[in-house]
Amino acid sequence: MNSEPRPEMAAENLIVTNPALQTDTMFVNMGPQHPSTHGVLRLGLTLSGEVITKAVPDIGYLHRGTEKLMETRTYNQCVVLTDRWDYCSAMPNNLAFCLAAEKLIGAKVPPRAEALRVVMCELNRIASHLIFLGTYGIDIGAFTPFLYAFREREMILDLYEMLCGARLTYNYIRLGGVAADIDAGWIAKCREFLEFIKPRLDEYDTLLSFNPIFLVRTKAIGLISKDSAVAWGLSGPNLRGSGVNYDVRKAEPYCGYEQYDFEVPLGRTGSCWDRYFCRVQEMRQSVRIISAALAKLPSGELLAKGIAKIPKPPPGEAYAHVEASRGDLGIYLVSDGGTAPYRLHVRAPCFVNLAVLQEILVGKKVADVIAVLGSLDIVLGEVDR
Amino acid sequence: MTQRAGKLLTATRYWPTELWANPWSLPRYRAAAAWLGGIVAGIALIGAGVGELAAWGDRLLALLGRLGLSAVVVAWLWLLVKLGCVLGVIVANGLWAVWWERKISAHMQSRLGPMYAGAFHGWAQTIFDTIKLLLKEDVTPAAADQVMHALAPVVAIAPCVMAFAPILFGSELAAAKLDVGVLYIFACAGISVIGIVMAGWASGNKYSLLGGLRAAAQMVSYELPRGFSVVPVLMFAGSLDLAVIDRAQAGYWLGFFPRWFVFYPVVGQLAFLFFLIASVAETNRTPFDIPEAESELVAGFHTEFSGMKWSLFFLTEYGYVLLSSFLLAAFFLGGGSAPLPFLDFIPSWIWMTGKAMLMMFVFLWFRWTFPRLRVDQLMDFNWKFLLPWSFANIGLAGAFVWRGLG
Amino acid sequence: MISYFKAVFLGTWALVQGLAITLRYLFKPAVTVQYPTEKLLPYDAFRGALIFDPATCIACGLCAKACPSACIALENQVHPETKKRVPKVEWYTLDLGKCNYCGLCQEACPTKPKSVWHSLDYEIAFSSRDEMVRCWKAGFPLGGRTWDAKKKAFKDPKSHISVRELPARKR
Repeated sequence: MNSEPRPEMAAENLIVTNPALQTDTMFVNMGPQHPSTHGVLRLGLTLSGEVITKAVPDIGYLHRGTEKLMETRTYNQCVVLTDRWDYCSAMPNNLAFCLAAEKLIGAKVPPRAEALRVVMCELNRIASHLIFLGTYGIDIGAFTPFLYAFREREMILDLYEMLCGARLTYNYIRLGGVAADIDAGWIAKCREFLEFIKPRLDEYDTLLSFNPIFLVRTKAIGLISKDSAVAWGLSGPNLRGSGVNYDVRKAEPYCGYEQYDFEVPLGRTGSCWDRYFCRVQEMRQSVRIISAALAKLPSGELLAKGIAKIPKPPPGEAYAHVEASRGDLGIYLVSDGGTAPYRLHVRAPCFVNLAVLQEILVGKKVADVIAVLGSLDIVLGEVDR
Repeated sequence: MTQRAGKLLTATRYWPTELWANPWSLPRYRAAAAWLGGIVAGIALIGAGVGELAAWGDRLLALLGRLGLSAVVVAWLWLLVKLGCVLGVIVANGLWAVWWERKISAHMQSRLGPMYAGAFHGWAQTIFDTIKLLLKEDVTPAAADQVMHALAPVVAIAPCVMAFAPILFGSELAAAKLDVGVLYIFACAGISVIGIVMAGWASGNKYSLLGGLRAAAQMVSYELPRGFSVVPVLMFAGSLDLAVIDRAQAGYWLGFFPRWFVFYPVVGQLAFLFFLIASVAETNRTPFDIPEAESELVAGFHTEFSGMKWSLFFLTEYGYVLLSSFLLAAFFLGGGSAPLPFLDFIPSWIWMTGKAMLMMFVFLWFRWTFPRLRVDQLMDFNWKFLLPWSFANIGLAGAFVWRGLG
Repeated sequence: MISYFKAVFLGTWALVQGLAITLRYLFKPAVTVQYPTEKLLPYDAFRGALIFDPATCIACGLCAKACPSACIALENQVHPETKKRVPKVEWYTLDLGKCNYCGLCQEACPTKPKSVWHSLDYEIAFSSRDEMVRCWKAGFPLGGRTWDAKKKAFKDPKSHISVRELPARKR
């Protein structure tokens, strides 16, 4: 079964060019309320019959002005706001902000805190990719993996609840370290979870990744070439699905990632399936990282010494970026010596990733929009901030 | 300190690892197994007690005759009784199948499904849903053709009910004894497509029209392999009459192996699979449910139908699922015959219903496991795979019959 | 030719394996809990609805300063004779509608045991905005009371904070 249209069915031939024939292009709004746009996204599609001639994402429905809000809050209060960007994986958000602020202050995070940061961020990567897997399955029509993914995700949320008290917006990674410590009981439960999820990932492979119907729906769809991916500024699994080997954890390691042995999964053709499978493989690599981090967890302090209760970083600017679940999350922080940041700018990966739709949807059929949009894995909290 | 009044049961939080390590240790698991076992045993015993329904039917007919009415009146009364039974089956199926689908899908997804409406596992859920649907406002779009909008669901469901006439519900338990039963059923199933097209047209909405046309194209295309995959069965049985097909599968090889058509080497299994897949596509179930897909951009043909009109389409779908289940059971799984010789104290109608429910379970199982195919892939699959191979299957069946093995 | 049959066979086998997985889960116990009749108790660290104990509070105002959403307001008691402010709280209000459930106020509170802390309650749905603001004076219950503007009196809120604050207060 071929999922690529035959040559005579190519887009150019389907768009009617006979001037004697009166045709109309149709403008269709997908969203902002739509079951498959993963949030409040409006996609303005111009259709010529079945074929898309123009696709324009319209965003801003979830804009809450966090960058401005942070200008009137102390650094510790800002961390609370960072949770709400990519709410499906909040730990890397906290982390990016704290790394930037620590650069400004010049604080040195103790090794135990660094290891805990790694464990929590990787757990969050698994949780976030589980959401992706479930919702992408629903987009393609398989309803069951969604519930399986959420069943696994419940265990991660339980671990977070035991640790810091919250299940979605943690406020855990603080300036100079982390807020709470783990004990032997938590480590045992975490290991139990890691043992549980390994065979489940194999099950997802059977249910989705290597399911012939899923393959035929995603294998040759939504191709993004290497050059395109780099030109549009993609990051995360979207970039690596096209074969570009760039992962911030390897390129510019932070929090001690250089001590952990893991692989960065790469796709080959840049299809929807490649991006999807990158994420599944990243889950496996995250399991590896967490096991390694828990095995060699150093003892010690949780917070760096010498950070004031209400920190006042010296004037300056700093940029820190992390490999968040959805891509390269960067924070540019400018301080003027006060208790609140002077200016904060977020380089949100989903915001940049979304733009590539303007290229890859043109010339494709309407039926593939959902598959392509789902494979980019966007969260509107991060797109709009 | 304010306290909430009433009973607050605090459940213990179990991780799946603990729950699944030893499921039998959970009281609710043991209770569920006991209930299920009890229900199956109960049905079997009630069936054994009631005996063959055909005998009861004969007695009822004799009773009607003794009431002193003319023969014509008795015939019409008897027709009404049969009609009532068939309609009752279809409506009861609408209620039962939806509940069962929700339950099966829930348990496959590690959750419980309806539990609230009706004390025991939400058995009354569909009844309440039906009442809700009946009370819903009937919204007809202004741009729609009003007459067509009202007629479309009727044209969709009427042939479905008609198609149940020759269906065998047990041995000698059919509403109409047609010697062209199979042909009649497939003919009726084909008429429903007109209702779908009418629905798409009458919605007054370009995308519903396209959805309707797509659904019609899908249904008409899959009728071909559906019909052709049954031809080997007809060749082996030698007749289009469902009762003859049922009798042809009675008996056992070597005294214990049932002579069902599905067990005929290669031919039977292929025919069964093709008929199953084509039936799934005919009834617009996942993996072929593009016309009804909730998460796609293009609306389905039944978007503009609300309340009772929508529930008629819904009933049609589940009616056809039931029809396909009964046909699968009748053609391939031996109809009313028991799988092992000593089990024939359980009457044929229980076996027939049980096999049909097993097939319906397969329909549900497919829906909740597989993703859906895109429209052009689905048509490719039909014309380039199912149809040619069902022809090949007919050739294979011919070889069997020629060698006298059929 | 062979590759065609191989593709068909492998595809069918993959589909069958998928079916086997869902069939296996059909027979495993459900992992869900029937919510209104069975409720799960959160872990001790859980950050649920905020509650306050006027008896231990020293009215330092650190919680109000720490809150990112400015949802806490309080006022010290004044000694009747010296007219000086006393480290006891006169009144304290919390707007649960603005609360972020971040825990910063709880961390900032210096008293032992803490005077403001997150209970284990997660059933905090309100039917009107007035109910979101909880007020405390001396002697009020730990869940606070809401101010009824029409009747100009405090009343017990309709949606109770019903829980289980004792385990959470060990910190």
